[in-house]
Amino acid sequence: MLPTRWLRRLAPMLVCLVLFMTACSSAPNKYDQVQKDTTGFGKPAAVSKDAQKGGTFNQFFPKGEGDYDLVPSQEKKGFAAYKLNKNGSTVATLSINDTTSLPAAAAKYSSATDTVAGYPSVNQGTTATGLLVNGRYQVKVLSRDTSFSQADRVDWLQKFDLKGLAELEVAANKSSDIKQASKLNAPPTLNPVLQPAA
Amino acid sequence: MSKKIYELVDKLPKGGITVMALKSLDKFVPGQWDNLVGFDHTIKTVTGETDPAMVQAIGERAITLFNDKGEGYQRALWLYQTVDSASGMLGTAALANRIGQDTFLGFLKNITPKPEKAQTIDLSVKLVTEIVAFCHINGIPGDSLGDFLKSLGDYSGESIMRMAALVAFDGVIPLGAEFSTKVLSSIKGMGPSDLDKNRTFKGVKDAIPGNDSKGKLAFMTESFESTKGWMDKFVAEKGITQSGVVDGLSRFIEGSQSKLDYLGAFLDISVKYYEHTGIQTLARRLIERAVAEL
Repeated sequence: MLPTRWLRRLAPMLVCLVLFMTACSSAPNKYDQVQKDTTGFGKPAAVSKDAQKGGTFNQFFPKGEGDYDLVPSQEKKGFAAYKLNKNGSTVATLSINDTTSLPAAAAKYSSATDTVAGYPSVNQGTTATGLLVNGRYQVKVLSRDTSFSQADRVDWLQKFDLKGLAELEVAANKSSDIKQASKLNAPPTLNPVLQPAA
Repeated sequence: MSKKIYELVDKLPKGGITVMALKSLDKFVPGQWDNLVGFDHTIKTVTGETDPAMVQAIGERAITLFNDKGEGYQRALWLYQTVDSASGMLGTAALANRIGQDTFLGFLKNITPKPEKAQTIDLSVKLVTEIVAFCHINGIPGDSLGDFLKSLGDYSGESIMRMAALVAFDGVIPLGAEFSTKVLSSIKGMGPSDLDKNRTFKGVKDAIPGNDSKGKLAFMTESFESTKGWMDKFVAEKGITQSGVVDGLSRFIEGSQSKLDYLGAFLDISVKYYEHTGIQTLARRLIERAVAEL
C-alpha cells in the first residue's frame, strides 16, 4: 500500500517537473526535424557530388534586351541564377539547377500536362513556372514583381538556349562514364577562392 | 552544436539600437530596408508564396543548404558575426581608454592617432569581409570579371543598407567626409605588423585571401583601391555627410552632435549592423536558391 500512496503523491510532482523542464527548453519548431536530419555525423550532402558545375549553365541563360538587363546573382555547384531587372528593379529570377541533388524536383514533371518548347512544364505555387530538360535540368522563371505574369514567365523560359542545355546532358552522360572510372582522382569541390583584384 | 538559421532569423531584433541606427540611414537609401524578421515571414516576402506546404518546403531546402558546411553559408555567417564582435572589442577598448584618461570633454581634445589607425584597419577589414562573404554566399557568379563586378554592384535591400552603414558609421563619422582617401593613404603606409596588432583583423584573418599578413594586407589594399571609387560615388550621390548622419542618430542618442569621437566608439560597441543585416542577406539568398531548386 505504501508504494502506491507514495506514487500518488509523486506522480503530480513528476508531471510538474516534466512540464517545467519542457517549458525551459525552447518551444518545438516545425523546422526542428529537418534541422535534426541535416546536421551531425553522416548527414546527407545538400548537393550531389555528381551535380553539374554551376558555371556550365551560364552559357544557356538568355541575354538582356530592351529595358531588360540580366545580372548574375548566384552560382554554386548544380545551380546558377540571374536577376532579371527592368529599369533597375528586379522583376524576376531566372535559374537552372541540376535535379540530381533533389530528385523530387524532377519527379513533379512526370505528371505535367503542359509543355513549353516541347519540354514538360509546370506552374509551381503562384510565382514560378519551370520546365525540365532531359529529365535532369530544371529551368525556372520566378516572378519577383506582380507585374511579371505567368505569360511573361513562359515567354522568358523560351529565351533560354534549351537545345544547348539538352546537348549538355548527352555530354555529361558521356563524361560521367569516364568520371566513374577515375572517381578517386577527381578533385574535391572547392569553395570559390578569391584572387586579388587586378 | 550547429547554429539554426531559422532561429537566427526568428530572433532578429525588431527594435533596439542596431535597428534604430540603421533606420536613421533610411534618408540616404530610402525604402531599401524594411528589417525583415522571422524565417517564414522572410520566405513569404522574398518569394511571394503563401501556401503553407510550399513555404515549409522552401524553408526545409534552405535549412538543408545552410547546414551543409561545404556550401559556404556557415562560413559567411561566421564572418558577419566575427567582424562585428571583433570590431566591438575595438570600440570597448577605445571607449575605456578615453573614459579612463579624462573627463568627457577632455577626451575630445585628446585625439590620439592610434584609434584612427585602428579605425582605418577596421573599415578595410569590414570591406574585405563583405567581398569574401559575398563569394561564400553567391559563389562567383557569371563568366567574367565584368559579370562578377556587375553582380557585386547590384546590391539592394539589406545589403545596400549594410554598405550605407559601413560608409556612414565606420567611415564618415569617425574619419570625416574624405575618409576613403585618408584610409587608402594610411593603409598604404602600413606594414603587416600593424595588422597583426588589430583585433578586427585577427578575428577574421584566416578568411582573408593571402598567404601571410603581408599578402592579406596587399589584398586589402587592392580591394579598397578598387572599391574606393564606388564608395566616393555612393557618398556623393546619396549626400552622406557627417552632420547628416549625426542628425539622424541624435534623435535617439542624446547630445551626439558634440561628441563625435565618443559616438564612433559607442556605435562600435552597440551597433551590430554586420551581423544583423548579414543574417538577413544570408536568409534571402538561401530562400531564393531553395525556391528555384525545388
